[in-house]
Amino acid sequence: MQMTINGVVQEFQVDDQTLLVEVLRDHFHLTGTHIGCDTSQCGCCTVLMNNEAVKSCTMLAAQATDSQIVTIEGLASDGLHPVQEAFSQEHGLQCGYCTPGMIMSTVHLLNRHPNPSDDQIKEGLAGNICRCTGYVNIIAAVKSAAKKIQEKTV
Amino acid sequence: MNAHLPSQLVLDKELLRKEDLRLITGQGKFTSDWHYEGMCFAHMVRSPYAHGQIKHINVSDVRNALGVLQVITSEEVDAAKMQTLPSGVTIQNSDGQAQHLAPMPILAKGKVLFVGQPIAMVVADTLEHARQAAELVQLEIDMLDAVTDYESALSPDAVQLHAHVPKNLSIHFSKGDVQATDKAFEEAQFISHMKIKSQRLIGSPMELRSVLAKYDATQDKVTIHTPNQGMLGMLGALEQITGIKKDQIEVIAQDVGGSFGIRAGAYSEHALVILAAKLIGRPVKWVGTRSEVFVSDWHGRALELNGSIALDAKGKILGLRFDDKADLGAFTCYFGSFIGARNISITMNGVYDIPALSMRSELYFTNTVPVSAYRGAGRPDIAYAIERLIDHAAHEHGFDLVALRKMNFIKPEQFPYDNHMGSVYDSGEFELLMKRAIEVSDFNHFESRRAKAAANHRLRGIGLACFIECSAAGTTNKDQVLGRFTKDGVLQILGVTGASGQGHETSFGQIVTTATGLHADRIQYLAGPASKALIGSGTGGSRSLYGAGSAVQNLCEQILEKSKELAAQHLQVEAGDLHFDHGSWHLSAKNASVSLDDLIKKFQPVDASAHPLDAQGEASSGSTFPNGCHIAEVEIDPETGVCEIVNYTAIDDLGVVISPKLVKGQIHGGVVQGIGQAFFEQAIYDESGQLLTGSFMDYAMPKTGCLMQIHSEHIEVVTKSNILGSKGVGESGCSGSLPALSNAVINALRPKGIWGMDMPYTPPKIWEALQG
Repeated sequence: MQMTINGVVQEFQVDDQTLLVEVLRDHFHLTGTHIGCDTSQCGCCTVLMNNEAVKSCTMLAAQATDSQIVTIEGLASDGLHPVQEAFSQEHGLQCGYCTPGMIMSTVHLLNRHPNPSDDQIKEGLAGNICRCTGYVNIIAAVKSAAKKIQEKTV
Repeated sequence: MNAHLPSQLVLDKELLRKEDLRLITGQGKFTSDWHYEGMCFAHMVRSPYAHGQIKHINVSDVRNALGVLQVITSEEVDAAKMQTLPSGVTIQNSDGQAQHLAPMPILAKGKVLFVGQPIAMVVADTLEHARQAAELVQLEIDMLDAVTDYESALSPDAVQLHAHVPKNLSIHFSKGDVQATDKAFEEAQFISHMKIKSQRLIGSPMELRSVLAKYDATQDKVTIHTPNQGMLGMLGALEQITGIKKDQIEVIAQDVGGSFGIRAGAYSEHALVILAAKLIGRPVKWVGTRSEVFVSDWHGRALELNGSIALDAKGKILGLRFDDKADLGAFTCYFGSFIGARNISITMNGVYDIPALSMRSELYFTNTVPVSAYRGAGRPDIAYAIERLIDHAAHEHGFDLVALRKMNFIKPEQFPYDNHMGSVYDSGEFELLMKRAIEVSDFNHFESRRAKAAANHRLRGIGLACFIECSAAGTTNKDQVLGRFTKDGVLQILGVTGASGQGHETSFGQIVTTATGLHADRIQYLAGPASKALIGSGTGGSRSLYGAGSAVQNLCEQILEKSKELAAQHLQVEAGDLHFDHGSWHLSAKNASVSLDDLIKKFQPVDASAHPLDAQGEASSGSTFPNGCHIAEVEIDPETGVCEIVNYTAIDDLGVVISPKLVKGQIHGGVVQGIGQAFFEQAIYDESGQLLTGSFMDYAMPKTGCLMQIHSEHIEVVTKSNILGSKGVGESGCSGSLPALSNAVINALRPKGIWGMDMPYTPPKIWEALQG
């Protein structure tokens, strides 16, 4: 099986039942992608596959063959990604367990809607549960990140 | 190691917390992230029935299955001489009558008493093998009837869970002055009653409960990784259960993904994984699945509070009586009894001066998951009950709900105020807080907003709640921290209270920076094995900041005292002539100064000996009384029953605030956990004792957008019960939001003739009520 993970082409063998999240966590020790439920509700395992947010606990590794996967570990390049920065500055995280998934979903949300409305934020993060923050600061982080990205591209 | 960070990461702007960089880049380390060579995997076999007699458990096929290394049943637990889980804090009536306790066995023996109760553990070389082998367990259980609520548990023909507990009643607890309260009700002009349920919840921190143990036979030493709320609580419980001495166990948790009360002590799985690691001689890891922890993490709340209030003709409260019911679940575990007796009684007068108080509480067993602490542990429940009752009484007898509160507040000049229920409130400005909340929320112009909403066929309501809670006094008589300077000049602070999202590293660092001027980068807080010789409380009861934080403050004072001598030595002057300002010692007369930084460097030992500025800080800090006034405004669409929160104001007195942004974060989180209880969450059992809400698909959690904005402000009324003057914040949000939201919902519905409803206020429930 072959896929590009955080910019590196990886070839590996796993059995048919292996989930994408297991490949990331157990095979490549990319433990920033978390598991928080077993019913695809919590979004802790969210990663980008071909620039779209997917729940890696709900996909077989085989379904991700030949795709481009970005995990939280691969998001920062020449500096923190604006979404990462915004989550910290707006205090959009407390325990940090849901955070990688929240950040990846936000990256995808801002790809689709660079200047998202409240409803678009609600819809974009509907698949991610946070138990600590109360979401208000997460919403602030999404808006702040949108602003940062727009300022960068101008 | 998963180091995927670019080596030269440029940080454009400073991050908010010391914890954040690792958590936003995927470098955090939670229990399931640890991996050891030769590690094997555990899977639990749990009871599928709520109540039954175990006839036979046959695990011989499991032992022979592919990859299986160990199977632990109650026989192995007995052979290892393991004790039960701790009952925790138990209670006694003033007449000496003691509680019937029912401690939970590590693995079921004889009977199973709730769905999810551990029966056996299977350990194999891979998780898949352990799971597959567990399918081969042959369980023969004769099912018995189950009791799942008060009515069924205490009915005359109810089945009994524990042979030694008649009628499933653990204790009928009573407290307060019954005679004086009865008299107050006799003399009252107005009386109101209200039955208020605080439904059973499932705490659901995002990190799944998990434990990884390894055993070093050469030193007879166990190391465990597990999310916890402070290692001493975990160690104490493990010593009690396993008999392994505390100094032979190390508890490590670098990052903990939320706790909210459920992680205060050890569970069966902790003891079993340790036993398995010893028996097999390899590291053993168990990570619960979400569905599994739904039926095995301690549940929360599960209280019914029946309040009666007696008022005189002017509205002065003469007396308050509560008759409560506390569902303990199947066993007495950790804080269940404490909540159902002590925590719902000690602040039962709320923020009001009430001369006569009494309460009774029936603590009973059901065939459900044992109940322990969940955010607030009884504090939000009683705050909720009082504030609903006050609102109810105001409407029933025609009082203005603001004036009624104002008339009955404990006045600032009444402090210290002894409520004769176990609390002496030390400070508070209840009227000031309410005034500010009314101002900020534009409470007085609400009716025009209601009218405007009505024109759009929407029901708008506003709810006000004033609350107080008693934060934890601590499990030890003081909190200690050890400060030592590393060779790089970093002040390493060792403590016993570990964070689960609160940001201890940041706020303790801030205390140091404020006191000494040392930059945040030069301060490191660590809670782990190195601190084992210290004492202190865990993270719970809103306590860490003023408990361990006060010890940090004391540490700083000692470091400064010691550095003063070094500065005098360095400047060759008398220490008494020096004063400390902006991180340096100054001698104004000579215009001479030396910074603490320079002293740290100058006196750095060349060998491995201790730095002369190393010190141990400690402080004794009692309970505090965080309080506040929250106002919520909601709008209901009568066509669908959907209720939207349109405004939320939280004015809190938390004493001295150290990290305002983090404190607001705690308020937000607490408020939204209250929104969860008010609108979404409820653990529901069917009559046979099966949990119907067994996953996030059926147990609704609050999500992004349930609250778009919140106005949070602090009014600092300093407490003298600790040297920081802080009151704690962890549980305030919940205590304010449950009553504020509920009063708002009822306020919206009252014009339609609806005066009462139990949480959660789901759309179908509201819609149905509106249909009459």
